[in-house]
Amino acid sequence: MRQKRLFQRCAPLSQTDHIEEDLEDLYENAPCGYLSLRPDGRIVKANQTFCGWTGYPPGELIGSRLHELLNVAGRIFYETHFAPLLRMQGFFNEVALDFVKKDGERFPALVNAAERTDAAGKPLFIRLTVFNATDRRRYERELLNARDELKVLAGELEQRVAEECAQRLRSDAALTSQREEAQLREQFIAVLGHDLRNPIASIMAGTRLLQKSNIDDKAGTIILSIEKSVVRMANLVENLLDFARGRLGGGITLVLSFQPLEPTLQQVVDELQSAHPESIIETQFALTKSVQADPARIGQLFSNLLGNALTHGTAAEPVTVFAKTEDQFELTVCNAGDQISAATRERLFQPFSRGDARPGKRGLGLGLYIASEIAKAHGGIIDVSSTRELTCFTFKMPLQH
Amino acid sequence: MHLRAVAFGTSSNIRYYRWCRLLFDPREYPGIFVSILVRNNVHTAGTGRTAMVFSHGFGCDQNMWRHVWPAFQDQFRIILFDHVGAGRSDLKAYDSRKYSHLEGYADDVVEIGNELRLRDAVFVGHSVSAMVGLLASIRAPSMFRSLVMVGPSPRYIDDDGYLGGFKQQQIDELLDLLSDNHMGWSTTMAPVIMGNPDRPELGQELTNSFCRTDPSIAKEFARVTFYSDNRADLTRVTIPSLILQCSEDLIAPVAVGEYMHRQMPNSKLVILKATGHCPNLSAPEEVISAMRAFVSN
Repeated sequence: MRQKRLFQRCAPLSQTDHIEEDLEDLYENAPCGYLSLRPDGRIVKANQTFCGWTGYPPGELIGSRLHELLNVAGRIFYETHFAPLLRMQGFFNEVALDFVKKDGERFPALVNAAERTDAAGKPLFIRLTVFNATDRRRYERELLNARDELKVLAGELEQRVAEECAQRLRSDAALTSQREEAQLREQFIAVLGHDLRNPIASIMAGTRLLQKSNIDDKAGTIILSIEKSVVRMANLVENLLDFARGRLGGGITLVLSFQPLEPTLQQVVDELQSAHPESIIETQFALTKSVQADPARIGQLFSNLLGNALTHGTAAEPVTVFAKTEDQFELTVCNAGDQISAATRERLFQPFSRGDARPGKRGLGLGLYIASEIAKAHGGIIDVSSTRELTCFTFKMPLQH
Repeated sequence: MHLRAVAFGTSSNIRYYRWCRLLFDPREYPGIFVSILVRNNVHTAGTGRTAMVFSHGFGCDQNMWRHVWPAFQDQFRIILFDHVGAGRSDLKAYDSRKYSHLEGYADDVVEIGNELRLRDAVFVGHSVSAMVGLLASIRAPSMFRSLVMVGPSPRYIDDDGYLGGFKQQQIDELLDLLSDNHMGWSTTMAPVIMGNPDRPELGQELTNSFCRTDPSIAKEFARVTFYSDNRADLTRVTIPSLILQCSEDLIAPVAVGEYMHRQMPNSKLVILKATGHCPNLSAPEEVISAMRAFVSN
């Protein structure tokens, strides 16, 4: 049915449109090359299209063998692949062959072939259709080149990724070992700090007991200086402990209450005053409102600030302490002495930064770090202002969280 | 005239395998049972007591023998196989290092022979496989009683006083061409071989497949074939050999056949009227009658 319609459509529309197809011309000038071979490969017929493409005069090809139109490599491939294939299946399709033109140039082609056999299956002749594949071959070559380039690029990429990964692994390993080392160190400090507390406590208790007994002035002075050193040492150990704990992930822990802070502050002043009898500490406490805070921690913070002021301040000048509760809790400790430079001020609250302290007056550099951590834990901050005359540390925190 | 795959069929040696399996646990001997026969796509047919092993050359597969082996199936046990890398062989078994020498292919022949317990068999090799069989017969002396070599060449490249038919440069060119992959088919058409050669109605999938090889394997096989030099091995063969030489063969010229005949003490040279490199396909009758005359002696 479909066939019939097709034929009808192909039939000449009218007498005037009818053009007789010249089969001879179709063969000779078809848009593809035709070759007919004897079973042994000798050419018996070739059309003009093929002769034109390859540059041979029409008569010259007759009687020569197909091999002679191929280069050596093509011949080998034809003999080992295409000729047997043709015998086995009676045809081959889309085989790429390079013909050698009369001028020696290559003529890339795609070839289909069919074998014509007699009733007994004996080959009579072979027909070849040759399609010009110059552009296609060029395109294929471009594709191949692109694939090769891609392969090279992919190889490079792979190598880079591998290198990158190896480096990452190496640095990861280094980081891990660094981290482990740091953890070990801080654990060590924590244990050490803890073990130092007990002997300090017993020395402290001993000096208190001695002060209460009858002693002469000389012994009194010695006991005082022991006490001063013990207080300082106790502070250092506390700071060390807090630092280690903070770094170990515990942070500063608070026990919050609304207990009045003045007794705590006064106790710190008393303690430090007794350790520094030559210094003058002036206090002004105006604590009218209650503050939600951890008194022990506030005491530690204050002790750090006041201790610093006593250590670094000019001995002849008084250290002044103001504490007030208006819209927030403010605690200021001021001392006269050397100005703290702006650069130092920036890293003052970092651990182990010891400012421009004079030799002999150095601590661990943890005091201000711990103080600022305590301030942070209370939702507050510590400000520092320093002029040539006066250096003030001010702790501010909200009355309530 | 149906071929049956040993791995699936019921030909005589499958019984032998089943019997072997009862004695040995195949899992303890991987690569011994079946897998060699699967690896080389071994097919058997025929009823004779003596085996005749057909080995294809560079280019196609065991189908090259389709017009020849049926003539011998009444007297011989026919064994057909594909070299690893060709036809329906197990491409996973292809190992560039092993197959960089013809000895690698010869080892496979010996393995197949051992597997099928071949003794005094006839080896029929086409083209490069003639040399493979020659090496196998040296390696396993009692396995083959005679060699039939169709279009053989011990060396393809001309050498001092030796005419192989090719210049070094021409072979280099062939290998370049193969690596370009412009000769033959595109990579995407690398072997996907389905269907059954005896059933042309399945032909669509089979088109071109008999002679289609993975391009990289084809290149390596071409390299080992055309760069091989086995001239020194010729004199080591003592079993009777038949050299079938085509009268007009581009790949193995008559001079090469004559050279081989001179070098091999126990050889017979027959120049066929057939032309081309594949008389087993183009002139099977002539090949069969020459072989018959040889094996009946």
